[in-house]
Amino acid sequence: MSSKSDISFTLNGQARSLVVAPAASALNVLRHEFDLTAAKLACGEGECGACTIIVDGASVCACILYAADLDGRDVETVEGLDAGEALDPVQAAFIETGAVQCGYCTPGMVMQIKHLLAENPDPDEAAIRRGLEGNICRCTGYSKIIDAVKSAAQTLRAG
Amino acid sequence: MMDQIAEQESLIGQRIPKPDAPAKVLGRTQYINDMVLHRMLIGKILRTDRVHARIVRLDISKAAALPGVHAVITGDDTPMIGIGVNKDNPPLKSGTVRCIRDEIAAVAAETEAIADQALALIEVEYEDLPAVFDPAEALKESAPQLHEDKPGNVGLSYNISYGDIAAGEAESDVVLDETYDLHYVTHCCMGPGCTLAEFDGAGKLTIYSQTQYPYNFKMDLAPTLGIHPGDIRVIQPPVGGAFGSKLDVYPFEPICAFLAQKTRRPVKLVFSREEEFIASPTRQPVRAHIRAGAKKDGTLTFRDVNCLLNNGGYTSWGATVPYVMMRTFSGHFRVPNVEFKSTAVYTNNPFAGSFRGYGNVQATYVTATLMDKMAEAVGMDPIAFRLKNAQAPGEVTPQGSLLKDCALAECITIAAEKTDFLKTHAANAAVQDGRYRRGIGIATSIHNAGGAKIHKSDGCGTILTMDDYARVTLITGASEIGQGIDAVITQIVAEELGLPLASITIVNDDSAIGPWDVGVHASRTTFIAGNGARRAAIKAKAQILAAASKEANVPAEELELRGGHVVQSDNGVSIVRLDRLLRAMHFAGEDAELVMVTDYYEPPSEPEGDNHYGDMSAAYAHAAYVAEVEVDTMTGHVRVQKMTVVQDVGRVVNALGIEGQIEGGIAMSIGYGLTEDLRIEDGIVKNPSFRDYKVATAPEMPEIAYHFIENDEPEGPFGAKGIAELPAIVPAPAIANAVYNAIGVRFDNPPITPEKVVRALHGGPPEK
Amino acid sequence: MNEIANYIAVDTIEAAAETLAAGPVTVLAGGTDLMLQTEAGARTYAATLMNIRRVAELRGVRLEEGALTIGALTTVTDLLNDATIQAHCPILAETADQFGSPQIRNMASIGGNICNASPAGDLLVPLIALGAEVELVSKPDGRLHSRRAPLEEFVTGPGTSALGDAEMLTFIHIPLADGAAGAFRKFGPRPALEIAMAAVAVTGRIEAGKFTNMRVAFGAVAPTPVRGKNVEAALEGKPATEETIAAALDCVDADISPIDDVRASAWYRRHLTRVLTQEILADVFQV
Repeated sequence: MSSKSDISFTLNGQARSLVVAPAASALNVLRHEFDLTAAKLACGEGECGACTIIVDGASVCACILYAADLDGRDVETVEGLDAGEALDPVQAAFIETGAVQCGYCTPGMVMQIKHLLAENPDPDEAAIRRGLEGNICRCTGYSKIIDAVKSAAQTLRAG
Repeated sequence: MMDQIAEQESLIGQRIPKPDAPAKVLGRTQYINDMVLHRMLIGKILRTDRVHARIVRLDISKAAALPGVHAVITGDDTPMIGIGVNKDNPPLKSGTVRCIRDEIAAVAAETEAIADQALALIEVEYEDLPAVFDPAEALKESAPQLHEDKPGNVGLSYNISYGDIAAGEAESDVVLDETYDLHYVTHCCMGPGCTLAEFDGAGKLTIYSQTQYPYNFKMDLAPTLGIHPGDIRVIQPPVGGAFGSKLDVYPFEPICAFLAQKTRRPVKLVFSREEEFIASPTRQPVRAHIRAGAKKDGTLTFRDVNCLLNNGGYTSWGATVPYVMMRTFSGHFRVPNVEFKSTAVYTNNPFAGSFRGYGNVQATYVTATLMDKMAEAVGMDPIAFRLKNAQAPGEVTPQGSLLKDCALAECITIAAEKTDFLKTHAANAAVQDGRYRRGIGIATSIHNAGGAKIHKSDGCGTILTMDDYARVTLITGASEIGQGIDAVITQIVAEELGLPLASITIVNDDSAIGPWDVGVHASRTTFIAGNGARRAAIKAKAQILAAASKEANVPAEELELRGGHVVQSDNGVSIVRLDRLLRAMHFAGEDAELVMVTDYYEPPSEPEGDNHYGDMSAAYAHAAYVAEVEVDTMTGHVRVQKMTVVQDVGRVVNALGIEGQIEGGIAMSIGYGLTEDLRIEDGIVKNPSFRDYKVATAPEMPEIAYHFIENDEPEGPFGAKGIAELPAIVPAPAIANAVYNAIGVRFDNPPITPEKVVRALHGGPPEK
Repeated sequence: MNEIANYIAVDTIEAAAETLAAGPVTVLAGGTDLMLQTEAGARTYAATLMNIRRVAELRGVRLEEGALTIGALTTVTDLLNDATIQAHCPILAETADQFGSPQIRNMASIGGNICNASPAGDLLVPLIALGAEVELVSKPDGRLHSRRAPLEEFVTGPGTSALGDAEMLTFIHIPLADGAAGAFRKFGPRPALEIAMAAVAVTGRIEAGKFTNMRVAFGAVAPTPVRGKNVEAALEGKPATEETIAAALDCVDADISPIDDVRASAWYRRHLTRVLTQEILADVFQV
């Protein structure tokens, strides 16, 4: 037992280690220790989805996740999609369909959609809407985000 | 040099992605909330927990002594000069607190955790004072006085009077007398309030702000800081939304600057979401009492309106929404006799600011539902009744708005036709039983679409420069707050100069570089900043074509810019590649010239004078939206199934952008009409979280059908009008009218929550 | 938010019980409530924060001897997707489907939902209708002890449970009734993330045209989720008809004690409870 927690985990495909305070949130650690500021602090209560990341293949709200619990896990943030060569299909679709306005909710949306499409590669409209129900957007009214999901799903299915 | 350049497809009307979208989807964009400055400290505000009290003792000594704390300030450390529209709001309060937001101290510390600890160490003792929350109560003589210089708690009042109400009433066959209670809602920008401030050691301030009006912001911020407005540089990093919440100076920004001043270090101050709900200005709540009449042939005769505005503890733009309410009450449909009075009354509540739609949300909820009520009272169908009273092009409203073109009748007719309105409306009304009932409702409105001259200038400055590679830098005073002006201006400039979109860079985030613009409000930015950009591009084109003409010995009138070349208009043959020409112009020795042009576009409108009369906007626009709903009569849940949008837009510039703005507005208006309710009881915000303040989510959005009316506004850039507020205004009353069609119940007090529906249908006891 | 003196992540039930025996512990399971409550000051950390999320045996669903055993760390998403749940206890999958958002479902654990003991705790409602038992372990004297308690008695008040200081919830046991049907419905003003204004679970079946083995539970309408004993009595053994349902709905008021709060009034909650109960009885039992 210790008043700190040693964590070793995979972050966007790279092995990382850190010592964190037990009560620190994964969001704070990602943003301040790793400079991964794409996941946003918008409510801090798991209500809005702007901090969505993927841990061990499941989308979660980083603001209420304990950083200490990242130990041994596989963590993906939107920066991990920035592989440099081609845009991820979800990201490309967001640009093309006009699904970005202020963009503050966008990283969380993108990660939630990555998870959604990994679980369900051919979602119908109702499944898409339900899949986005934990992500609040105040700018777009969601229509073009839904269009982006449909477009990205098609691209991904076409391989 | 004999290349033939084909005619390029026009960019206007196309679906153009936003230039900043790639960085945003990649997560590379650094928002103001993400910013870190070298050696910065974290600022936090101590807010009162009282709604009306005298501060008897304020002891900051323990907080100041905490290791890691660099400053603790109170009102005594500041000039105590008020900010806000009435200058009645000192950033830090000393003496009396008047609402639950009141800022009584602030700390700057090395970490957020230390700042929080410091706040907890500040000791405050109060003497509670009698409080008042209802504006009608606050007007009484016995009510506690909130501000010494505002006797009777009376804030801003407005009054217009046209025609003869008594005569209008005498002519009426039907008179309705209704009272509406329009409620508190809040912006819920996804990016909470945030500011950074640093002084340069010579007394000049750089403030990183979410402001939507950077230039007048300097003017409003300077006095309270005791510095010259010219010594303030405003930098606008990308923000997570604004929607009107940042059109005034609010205490947190000067407080951040005071902390930076005192500590001589940069300070960053960020709101938690709870603080955002409590401290960010709300929409203006309005109690509207309206008497209105019509003749039996459907002609509207008069509107007599009295509005009571809950001003809260201090004054911001909320108290001025009557500017726009007046225009709606007097100009939304033809009404010959209008009287409008409003009074804002100080109470111990949080106060309101500007919010997308700005008074027209409230006024249209009233007028658009009242039109339905009157149609029924007169015995006419809702479409015919509206068409009877729709103005024709060229009419002038009682307030002096010239409706050069007036597409109101066209909007109504198309909306009715596209939705088979009358048949559906009648069929729904005939259904009297069944758990799920359908309803269809129509609402319309009018809004400024060519700016709004409420200041001395409604203009926007533009600077356009071109480099040796034919790349354009377009510096505009107009701010990008996520609404997409970057895309629109890029299109306009690319269109004029015959260049690819990627050749244009927009710069609009630094007041030290950009020219003046009055601010992002009133749906003005496409129109005014767009016009400025177009005019600048036209000037640049003239300079370029003059140079090309000289070189090639071809008259400039026979030349045009196309596909990155100067070409002969008649056959498209290239005279010279544009970048080569620019280099030739640049490296011409004594005759060297760079393309650097400026423009200041002042729209041809009249300033709103003290009598509130005048043609305040260079253009107006109308819209008619039809809402189709399904009401679950057992749970009371109202589901919006479809929204049909018919909007007079002049010309679509960016099809992606215009749809996006409309869809976002619809989501906001659905929230306003059905689910959003900031519950303030005895001055306390009871639901300061997304858990209990319900904004629309993806499953709740309806199917949306569009029909744009593009009649080409002559003064607008490529014919465009402003569009973005109408979508946040019109859906809510359309939904209310649809609910009435479904279940025969009117709701004059949004939001139409499931509980309100069930109470109305199942006879619940009166709400406390 | 107070400081945590010690942090430990355990990977066996035994180790968890030992840590609990050694001193005051705050247990981190799904974590959807803990960070929230401690940040808001509604809850303080004990000196030790014990992360049990790596105790693999606490996650999963087993069918043994006509009963379901669900590990306390089984997430709401797990419940939604689990084939055994879908086959044998679909009411839990239905409840999981209406729980929060996808992100919250991925994080929230059934054990956490139970120990959080919210009056509106979604999973509690069907679990009470199902007659679930909780299994609790401790190690007070060097040996691992385990006891079971009916879930219905386990939640003692808003946010309080009968969990002993040195105890940990390990498994939930659900007896399976053959041929039982059931459903969970809740209502709130937004599809996701709403804390229910009213929630109802009903299980039972129709035998020889009569309501049989009916069990009813209500959530968000009393200080704790409660059994609807009066409603059950009005249904049990009676003909499965609209009249019986109407009579049963009249008994709802006697079973619940909702309050007025910022989300809804007591009156509306009573109305909703009747509506949801009627829906389930009519739709699920096809009356």
